Amino acid sequence: MTASDPGRTGEILYSFLSILFEGAPYILVGTLLSGFIDAFLPAKLLDRMLPKNKILATFSAGFMGLIFPVCECAVVPVVRRLVQKGLPISCAMTYLLSAPIINPIVILSTWTAFQNPGDKSDVTPWVMTVGRISLGYLIAVVVGLAMLRKKPADILNKSIVDGIAGAGDDSGHAAKTGFDAKLIHAMRTAMRDFLDTAMYFTIGILITSIFNTQIDQTKLKLVAGNDLLAAPALMGLAYILALCSTSDAFIAAPMVAFNYAAKLAFLVFGPMLDIKLTFMYASVFRRKFLVGLALALFVLVWLLSGPWSSLMQRIFTHPS
Amino acid sequence: MVLIDAENLHSPVMKTRQFTHLISVLLLLLWGGVMLYFYASGRLAKGEYVSKNGWFTTMVIVGGVGCIVVGLFNLLTMGAKEADCCEHDHGHEGHDHHDHGHDDCCGHSHDHAHTHDCGHDHKHDHDSCGHDHSHEHTCCGHDHHHEEPKAAGHAHGILEESGFIGRLVAILILAGPITYASIKSPDGYKSINTVTNRGVYDQSYQKDAKASKFDLKKGDAGTQTVPAVASLPPAATTVATPPAQTTGPAANIPPVAAVANAAPSGASQSKSYGSFTLKDLEAQVPKSKEGNFQLEVPEIYYTAGDKEVQGVITGQSIETIAQVIPEKVNNEKGTRVRIFRMLIQCCAADARPYSVPVEFGKEAPKFKEMSWVKVVGKMNYVKEGDQIVPIIEATTITEAPEPDSKMVY
Repeated sequence: MTASDPGRTGEILYSFLSILFEGAPYILVGTLLSGFIDAFLPAKLLDRMLPKNKILATFSAGFMGLIFPVCECAVVPVVRRLVQKGLPISCAMTYLLSAPIINPIVILSTWTAFQNPGDKSDVTPWVMTVGRISLGYLIAVVVGLAMLRKKPADILNKSIVDGIAGAGDDSGHAAKTGFDAKLIHAMRTAMRDFLDTAMYFTIGILITSIFNTQIDQTKLKLVAGNDLLAAPALMGLAYILALCSTSDAFIAAPMVAFNYAAKLAFLVFGPMLDIKLTFMYASVFRRKFLVGLALALFVLVWLLSGPWSSLMQRIFTHPS
Repeated sequence: MVLIDAENLHSPVMKTRQFTHLISVLLLLLWGGVMLYFYASGRLAKGEYVSKNGWFTTMVIVGGVGCIVVGLFNLLTMGAKEADCCEHDHGHEGHDHHDHGHDDCCGHSHDHAHTHDCGHDHKHDHDSCGHDHSHEHTCCGHDHHHEEPKAAGHAHGILEESGFIGRLVAILILAGPITYASIKSPDGYKSINTVTNRGVYDQSYQKDAKASKFDLKKGDAGTQTVPAVASLPPAATTVATPPAQTTGPAANIPPVAAVANAAPSGASQSKSYGSFTLKDLEAQVPKSKEGNFQLEVPEIYYTAGDKEVQGVITGQSIETIAQVIPEKVNNEKGTRVRIFRMLIQCCAADARPYSVPVEFGKEAPKFKEMSWVKVVGKMNYVKEGDQIVPIIEATTITEAPEPDSKMVY
């Protein structure tokens, strides 16, 4: 016990470093993936793998997280690169929003967090886990489909748009260069992407750790009983806490004052948008589009979380 | 200024590129170095930045080694040629990329105009990036006239494509906070703000998901599930000193029953979760030499949700080690303190306080806020406001050394 009290700054710095240690390794994994995708994955491959029909492709992109599981820190650089490799915007958007939710680790942690040890007949784990997956999928696909007619230039940063692979003149081009040169290219790309993402990540988690430690979160309970405000209150909390999607269910589960709908909103909105993601998205999207996306996500989750949780309860309370 | 001087040498583009490359490598080594330093020095474990369970510590090592490997690789291959990344379509720029005269097509220095507001507004205006080669570095009066050819850009990092100020800001953001935090972080929540803000005085005593870890009914738990709303457990009716109407924040929880699709476990009720006897308690919980049951605060916390456990544990001698803070709930007479432990999921940013009040029956002893204490006392359960609160009626409270594991997992 030292005599001095490092106080608030210390708490912020401690919290900042803890999120950094949790997130940075995954950003590195994501950027290495991104680098190797850029160097080794032929642009045509994605076209071949995804259904020809763009609508079908968007629907299947919502499940890409199951095969290609990445959390929200790692997904941003990967999506950035996949878009440049020719992944349609609609699919990219759906993957970006769904991957941090529809992902084996997150599904398992959600299930675990809502287990009721004493009451095996409790439907809560079903309602929350299935509700989270299905609503997350629905919203990701809806937003993806809304992008069907958008051109990359409408929503993406100029620098990302410029990097998009050409309309076919590059087929086989990648094969012409040797493995060493490709490896060098992959590693350089990984380095650039890491620093790029890490910069926005740093800003995001710095602000998050201020909110996370210095804002009185207990005040939220005052609106817990209000049907209209409970969900947006928890969505606001999810935004400022910027938790990893693998741990957020453990924070939501003990909030007994809040109903299913509000918790569902917390669990679906958080992985799609929070402070750190806002900054990380800024490295991909145009600012105007980002504002629109944020609003759309907020409204969609707010409006749908209520009916969706009721639907889930109805399904799981009367199984037949 | 050094950067500008370097750019004005024989091959400005190359110089800038190499300089940026070197800075990038250094930044990567810094991030990797910090992660490995925290692991190797033991600060990561001592400060419990990330959960000791699961992959979190391993991932920090992986991240640290990875950053350093990528950094060193890029340092050693600095002069090497990259793969022909011109597989990207440059045609839309309307000129042939082979005319650029670069030995390496990735070597375009992308100093497109970024309008960086002066100061620390980090929202880069990417809208103007790319095709606008007017180089409007409006910030702080620096005027850079780069002579690099028109670059058919594909995405390069922020360090490659911003202007001088943009690069400087990016470098500062990447290097500043992580370095400062590494030096100054106290390796723990040392003051009361965070635990208060995360609800140390605003607890909902009940059995919930996390209780499985702290459930005293291990093994044969949950055979009988009667989620019927129980009336008060016997313990609560035999309260020695029932406090007056609660005024603390715990009392302000709106009744959840009003909400149609409310979560099934309300804050206020204990439930019946199957039989539990003193034998079960003795089988589950270790005893100290003095014969006290050794319980962690979260275990005590969750007993409040279980009628049968309460019935058995009420009046039993227990002991626990926790951090102490002044009690602010139902403590008009000043006879209580509150003790808490932080429960961590993944990282310290998600750690939440679990707390219970300690009742002395007379004026509570004073301790330095947040210091570690060992409490010995008898368990009791009191209905306060709309919930059953587990209370330790203290027989002794003594200062204790900080345990190895400050967080509960």
